[in-house]
Amino acid sequence: MKDLKELKKIESFADQCMKCGFCSFFCPVYQEERVETSVARGKNFLVKEILDGKQEFTDEMGTIIGKCLLCKRCVANCPAKTQIDRVVVGARAQMVKNKGLGFIKNFAFRKVMANRKAFGNYVKLAKAFQWMLPKTEGNIRHLPDFLKALGQGRNIPAIADKFLRDMVKPVYKPQDGKPAKMKVGFFTGCAMDFVYPELGLKIIDFLTKRGIEVAVPSDQSCCGAAIYFSGDFETGRMLADTNIKAFKDFDYIVTGCATCSSTLKDYQKYLPDNEDQKKRYEEFEKKIKDSTEFIIDIMKVKPEELKLKKEFEGKTATWHDPCHLVRYQNIKDQPRAILKGLKGLKYVEMPNADMCCGMGGSFSVYHYDLTKKIADKKMDGIKATGADIVVTACPGCMINLIDNVLRNKMPQKVYHFLELVE
Amino acid sequence: MIKESLISEFQKIVGKDNVLTSPEALKAYSYDGTSNWVREPDVVVFPTSTKEISDIMKIANAEKIPVTPRGGGTNVSGGSVPWLGGIVLCTTKMNKILKVDKENLTATVEPGVVLQDLTLRLAKDGLFFPPDPQSFLGATLGGIIAENAGGPACVKYGVTKQYILGIEVVLPTGEIVNLGGRTLKNVVGYDLLHIFISSEGTLGVITKAELKLNPIPPARKTTMVVFDDVAKAGESVFRVLENGVIPDKIELLDNWVINRIEEMMPMGLPKDADAVLLFECDGIAEAVEKETEKIVEITKKYGAVDARVAKDADEANKYWLARRAGFAAVFGKAKTVFAEDVTVPRGKIPALINRCKELAKKFNLEIVVLGHAGDGNLHPAILTDISNKEHYDRAVQAMDGIIEAAVEFGGVLSGEHGIGLEKQKFFRKVTDPVVVDMMKNVKALFDPNNIMNPGKIWD
Repeated sequence: MKDLKELKKIESFADQCMKCGFCSFFCPVYQEERVETSVARGKNFLVKEILDGKQEFTDEMGTIIGKCLLCKRCVANCPAKTQIDRVVVGARAQMVKNKGLGFIKNFAFRKVMANRKAFGNYVKLAKAFQWMLPKTEGNIRHLPDFLKALGQGRNIPAIADKFLRDMVKPVYKPQDGKPAKMKVGFFTGCAMDFVYPELGLKIIDFLTKRGIEVAVPSDQSCCGAAIYFSGDFETGRMLADTNIKAFKDFDYIVTGCATCSSTLKDYQKYLPDNEDQKKRYEEFEKKIKDSTEFIIDIMKVKPEELKLKKEFEGKTATWHDPCHLVRYQNIKDQPRAILKGLKGLKYVEMPNADMCCGMGGSFSVYHYDLTKKIADKKMDGIKATGADIVVTACPGCMINLIDNVLRNKMPQKVYHFLELVE
Repeated sequence: MIKESLISEFQKIVGKDNVLTSPEALKAYSYDGTSNWVREPDVVVFPTSTKEISDIMKIANAEKIPVTPRGGGTNVSGGSVPWLGGIVLCTTKMNKILKVDKENLTATVEPGVVLQDLTLRLAKDGLFFPPDPQSFLGATLGGIIAENAGGPACVKYGVTKQYILGIEVVLPTGEIVNLGGRTLKNVVGYDLLHIFISSEGTLGVITKAELKLNPIPPARKTTMVVFDDVAKAGESVFRVLENGVIPDKIELLDNWVINRIEEMMPMGLPKDADAVLLFECDGIAEAVEKETEKIVEITKKYGAVDARVAKDADEANKYWLARRAGFAAVFGKAKTVFAEDVTVPRGKIPALINRCKELAKKFNLEIVVLGHAGDGNLHPAILTDISNKEHYDRAVQAMDGIIEAAVEFGGVLSGEHGIGLEKQKFFRKVTDPVVVDMMKNVKALFDPNNIMNPGKIWD
């Protein structure tokens, strides 16, 4: 008997679909390809065929299930409230279980990304060879192995000279020397560790300036997004356990990466294999705060009291909603409140602000051409605003937005919202 | 099965990427928006021009291969399901809006244009295409024309056939013809254009269309009217109209639907109401204001217990969101749902609703009523489960009863969904055999080899 355990878990979600096809209007991939296998309705139908024993886990099936950004626009707009993300991720998990990950992914996920130290060394190795490769201003053209797949001529921001992990202290006391108002754990995330370490330091500075003690547990790991969204639940659970252990002593765990915060929150949704896991993941979820919501909802910072950095005075900013913020966490007002509150900054809303940038993690590795087309629509939105800067809260989006702004020879610069404030 | 050599012919015509034959892709083109009609094609072809369609049709006609045209696949009659296999001719990649002509209030479109994309484009010029099938997020113009789709705005604006000035069609022989034209008036011989509108893809492939547009009305206002008796709601529909107010939409939700919507997304609908009617008036602000006042006055006179005029666009949007959620609410609550599409002359709405209630009682079933009350097009939905034979049989009997009632009251079996596969069983029952023969003769004239969407309407 074929193992369908992971699929069985999502069967009730798949049954929700009533085949109205409205998802086609919201699916960035369908909008480019206009083929039924690209859209939620088609994928859902095929997953149901597997559940009914009428379809096998073929390679083609793998491609179809793989070709989803997990942006959740279809979910947000589904009249039947079908959680197609659960269906797609569940199907990927079942495929990984039954057929294994491809070798490259296998190596990358299990041996490298899951091992924090190895991942760091690997990225360093890539960095060391950067000088050999054709270079554009501050961008890497090629990286070895799986990182190379990320390359494909894309403008990747240079890997940092020194990683965040090598710069941080285990604990940062409030800068005013007074007893801490709150103690939080800081989850760095891979992008901030390897690509934007100065952003990590900025967040620590922002929090400690305002009376908060920040700890950076050294045994934290990758959040697991690329891993469990690809269906490797086994490694995903391993990472979940590592992170839960690393942060067990904190009431709040703060991160500046929308994908990390949503991934950590959603362990309870995608990963549990038993009641005990479910309970522990749910407990963990309650502690996770994205930097946007932590600043506004927990610290109760008044946006108008924040001070805009001098270099941004008189600039016009627009906000890009990361999928993992706006739809995975329903966070949209907090970052806008910050940007609108900042004196000296002009805010303009971008058309389709909540449209996926096209990154989708490893999606862009395998479907870079599609990523570019989807990003072009995002770029049209940015152009329409006339903004000087594009602001967001996800380093993943930042990487893709920078790539596409450069590719389209646009003048805009891309920032994390915390880079704007003193 | 289609010969390998023909597949490569198709690849030559439309390019390799535009021919799909993998088992997975064929499965993904085996269904439409209905729940139970599933049949796989042998190949899916995506043409990008009229010429390509013509070339494909010539081969299909010579080889007698069935061709099922398909756009967004949102139809709810089984119309785009390739019932006899063959080719699914998918027009989703022909999605260009070729021209918006403000001077003549027309637009020229390819068949794969999604209605919502058209609406957004036209809005930039202050125009709109009035037919509003509620599948507008996925429905494509080719299908909308072939199914003669309608929607809530039919009360005031009518259905698709009133807004098509001309079409370009590829006949099964591969010939390309233009029917109709670009003018509002056109009596040059037989009106062949309108034979294609509602032909459900059985006569040819629509490859281009000339649409008639309206300017967007400057104001609109929504009123929610509450009733303690669904039949009274039905009466209020024609009372409002006979008193000289023509709202653009009059939609009905019954108690069961109201409560399911409230469970899904609480928005303050009156849960104890037996039914609500949603009215929308559009036009010049002053007129809309007066018409809305009149609606409140008349509905109250004929038994409404409450009438709430939406104070702003947000409140109005909330009510219409509820209406759109209606079908999801129904489909989410049963394994199988018969969503009827019967339409009666407006004066017979209360009679039809009462008959639905009697049938629900008689067969011990849940029959819920929602729909476009304003044009007599109700969608009574029977909740059942196809895997429970005894229950399902009762549901079928009740459905027979509803259709018989509609015909008895001078109405029709389908208002806007079409016959396709879903309504075939009843089609023969309620259609004069002479008329069926006439239709078949028309079909034979255009499509002697019966390759266009075979298995639909009367088989």
